[in-house]
Amino acid sequence: MASKRVPVAELRRLLSAVSDHGKQHLVEVEADLMQTTFLLGEAIEKLGASFMAIHEAVMTQQQEIDTILSSAGLPAGTNQKITEYREKIGEEVNAAITGLQFQDMTSQLIERTIKRVNGLRESLTALATHGEGMDAEHEHEEIARLLVEMSANLNTRSDAMKFGLKKSVSQRDMDSGEIELF
Amino acid sequence: MAKTILAVDDSGSLRQMVAFSLKAAGYEVVSAVDGQDGLNKAKEKTVDLVLTDQNMPIMDGLTLIKNLRELGSYKTVPILMLTTESSDEMKAKGKAAGANGWLVKPFDPKRLIEVVQKVIG
Repeated sequence: MASKRVPVAELRRLLSAVSDHGKQHLVEVEADLMQTTFLLGEAIEKLGASFMAIHEAVMTQQQEIDTILSSAGLPAGTNQKITEYREKIGEEVNAAITGLQFQDMTSQLIERTIKRVNGLRESLTALATHGEGMDAEHEHEEIARLLVEMSANLNTRSDAMKFGLKKSVSQRDMDSGEIELF
Repeated sequence: MAKTILAVDDSGSLRQMVAFSLKAAGYEVVSAVDGQDGLNKAKEKTVDLVLTDQNMPIMDGLTLIKNLRELGSYKTVPILMLTTESSDEMKAKGKAAGANGWLVKPFDPKRLIEVVQKVIG
């Protein structure tokens, strides 16, 4: 006797296909995010090292300038100009320090996104395994039960994911953050 | 004698920038990579100020503060949080744990030094 193709079996097959397809994409997303984190980390390490080397060179140069200033008779106004350059360099160093911190916040956001991707992949796995051992003679009831179970499972996983995540980084500009003393 | 600041952050670039800014202002800096490392280093040498991140692996900033406040030598040492967290709820938790101030990342070196000077001179 030919086997009866019931809607519940068809639904399970479709869910399984959606699950496999989705998980395949999420694996790629996770790999790209990990690579982005790696590249950002490498970039900031090199930028940080260059920043330190430039700062050290500028400090050494300023010491040399101080020596020249104290021993040579320079034209009027030179001291003033050098002081202004120093102040400008100081402001730019501070701005660079603030800017270099954005990699840290970006990494936190990527880490959060990777956790969400993993959570979604687990949910998709659950989607594919739901409904095993269904009774084809009661397909309508079984489909209803399957959908309720799936919904509950996704809600539970979604809640668990939310509690496990750090708060999102909401910084939207390059200014420094607020300060409060208790 | 230069005052010593314990800077705790799991981000290498942040530790580098905090140490650079504080050293440029004449402070000595001890760095730690997470709350547990910070607690260990705080026990080795009592510092004048603790500046800590909140979200870190192994031990977070709030737990570090609670542990430090239980140590006799850290009952009155100023502790500042330097974190991306900016909600009133988290600030209240920080205050309850024993933090003396809250700085939201990213920090401006000039403003950071002003706050540190205000707190420990």
